[in-house]
Amino acid sequence: MSAALVETRGLGKSYPLVFRSADRLRALWRLLVGHRNADSVAVLSDVSLRVERGQSLGLIGENGAGKSTLLKLLTGVLTPSAGSVTVDGRVGALLELGAGFHPEYSGRDNIALAAALYGLSAEETRAKLPEIVAFADIGRYIDEPVKHYSSGMTVRLGFAIVAALKPDLLITDEVLAVGDESFQKKCVRWMEEYLDAGGTMILVSHSMYHVQKLCRQAVWLKAGQVAASGDVYAVTQAYLAYQEGKSAASAARAPAAQNLEFHLLDLAVNGSTEDVAAQIDVGAQVRIRVRVHSRDGRMPVVIVGIARMDGTPVYGVSTEMDGVTPHRESQNVYAAEIVFAGLPLLPGAYVIKAHPLDSEGVRLFDTLERGLTVRGESREFGLVRLTHAWHECADAVPDRKAAP
Amino acid sequence: MPALRLALHFIRRDIRNRYLGSFSGGLWALLQPLAQLAVYGFVFVYVFKAKVPGADAPGYVPFLALALWPWTAFAEGLSRATTAIQDNAALIRKVALPREILVFSAVAASFLIQGIGFLAIVLALRAFGVPVDLFGLPQTAAMYAQLFALALGFAFLFAALQVFVRDLAAALPQLLMLWMFASPVFYARTSLPEKYRGALGFNPFTHYPEFFRSALLHTPAPPLASDAIALGGALLVLVIGWALFRRLDPHFEDFL
Repeated sequence: MSAALVETRGLGKSYPLVFRSADRLRALWRLLVGHRNADSVAVLSDVSLRVERGQSLGLIGENGAGKSTLLKLLTGVLTPSAGSVTVDGRVGALLELGAGFHPEYSGRDNIALAAALYGLSAEETRAKLPEIVAFADIGRYIDEPVKHYSSGMTVRLGFAIVAALKPDLLITDEVLAVGDESFQKKCVRWMEEYLDAGGTMILVSHSMYHVQKLCRQAVWLKAGQVAASGDVYAVTQAYLAYQEGKSAASAARAPAAQNLEFHLLDLAVNGSTEDVAAQIDVGAQVRIRVRVHSRDGRMPVVIVGIARMDGTPVYGVSTEMDGVTPHRESQNVYAAEIVFAGLPLLPGAYVIKAHPLDSEGVRLFDTLERGLTVRGESREFGLVRLTHAWHECADAVPDRKAAP
Repeated sequence: MPALRLALHFIRRDIRNRYLGSFSGGLWALLQPLAQLAVYGFVFVYVFKAKVPGADAPGYVPFLALALWPWTAFAEGLSRATTAIQDNAALIRKVALPREILVFSAVAASFLIQGIGFLAIVLALRAFGVPVDLFGLPQTAAMYAQLFALALGFAFLFAALQVFVRDLAAALPQLLMLWMFASPVFYARTSLPEKYRGALGFNPFTHYPEFFRSALLHTPAPPLASDAIALGGALLVLVIGWALFRRLDPHFEDFL
């Protein structure tokens, strides 16, 4: 059995409520005489988790769920109000972008400070400096004060420092969200190598893609408490389903749509009209049924499409394109059903969208959306699994790497 | 060992930071009290015609100089250390570090710079023919270290309180000004009316200028009991300051 590198038991944190100066004075008095602060707001309560050496844990949750507070407790920046934290190793942390840089000092000086804080001697720092400068790759800015840095450059430098220190435990808070594409790739590659070499990591990210890619375990924090923990796929999918349920509930349909020429009555995914994200396994079948109300009894054109959570369209098709006519259920109601047999979407969160168009397929009325979670494990990249086959090519084209 | 390394890093950073962007660099540290000495010397010698009491008394300028540098170290160290926690809030919020190092470094940097200035002025006075007893230097250095302990005690106290009560930093310059005039920096204890002399003993800083002057200029030495009281006082302040700082330290982040 491997040893726990990080362990928390019943961890809780409350912040004192201080609005006026008198509150601060009262709080000071309470602390001096040894009372616990009564007026406080709990941001984290009863969090127990355990990360073993060599594990990678993803920490997910909404803004304000207590993720950053938890990280600060783990790094020792904050003192717990309840429970305990034990960390058995050296921690390299990137909290809230930038590892505590001083804005007036140059990048080099901040590297020296970070190294000193980590406990490196001057010689060790000097030895690591070229590596850090090369990894950060911010050119002449390394000698400029950090206040002139863009947020991306700050993160680059911060990550470069942490990478060079090779800590026992790496804690990163939304580092990947700020860097540009190439730096993100560099970070992810570094993290993968670090994990392969037996490193331990706690990653906070809003990108489920990164969490699934880099972590085997995940913890979902909700309003300061652990809502779910365990296998990364199970936890992230539960979290996404919850997210979609919330956004669907808030997007109540505008009543104005009811008076349009065409409006949608309902959208059924796999037979369910319930307004929660539909869940399917990779390669399963999806049946989408749309009912349209036509004010004048004219026949609508129905479009059904699938987009990624961020809005990137994956595929869309209309009844008119395929030469299909919706079925007339009554005087004013039409229905159309589309079946995707063996949907080739890769695991992740998607949105199903449906719109009615007028009979000519020109004007678009109304929209209904429904979340779609594709479950499963896959290490493939992208959105869809394209049909493919690998061929033997032993004596085909000469090795490209050998070419100059 | 890493703590010491970190402290050295912060001291170096602090010294460099003070004079970052100034043309004279670290020279300014030596020039500033020198300019002060010139101003005070002019005002007190030529305007107020101040004289040090006693028959074979030294001139007023050496008399003032030996108190001015230690006071500057004490006051500057204290005012910088008071805001040390607050000034480094950005760092404290992101990195777990022993916070006492920030306070220690602020005081140590001031004592280091002013200590060099102090030594320089003593040697300069000697070069100008003032009968400074250079054999008094080791004693002086030891007492300077004791003054550092006193300053550190107050620094811990003030730095911890400043996190909670922000008025402290604003009130501190006035407080220090008052403190300076309540200490025998510009005058000797014997210049005071008889009934106020005893009150001077309650000022923890009093002992130091008196000791430095007696060690280097052979002015009347403070009574032997004063040595013991000053040492006890410095240690007491250090212990109280440290205890309070330790007690409040876990809650700094909540109130920054």
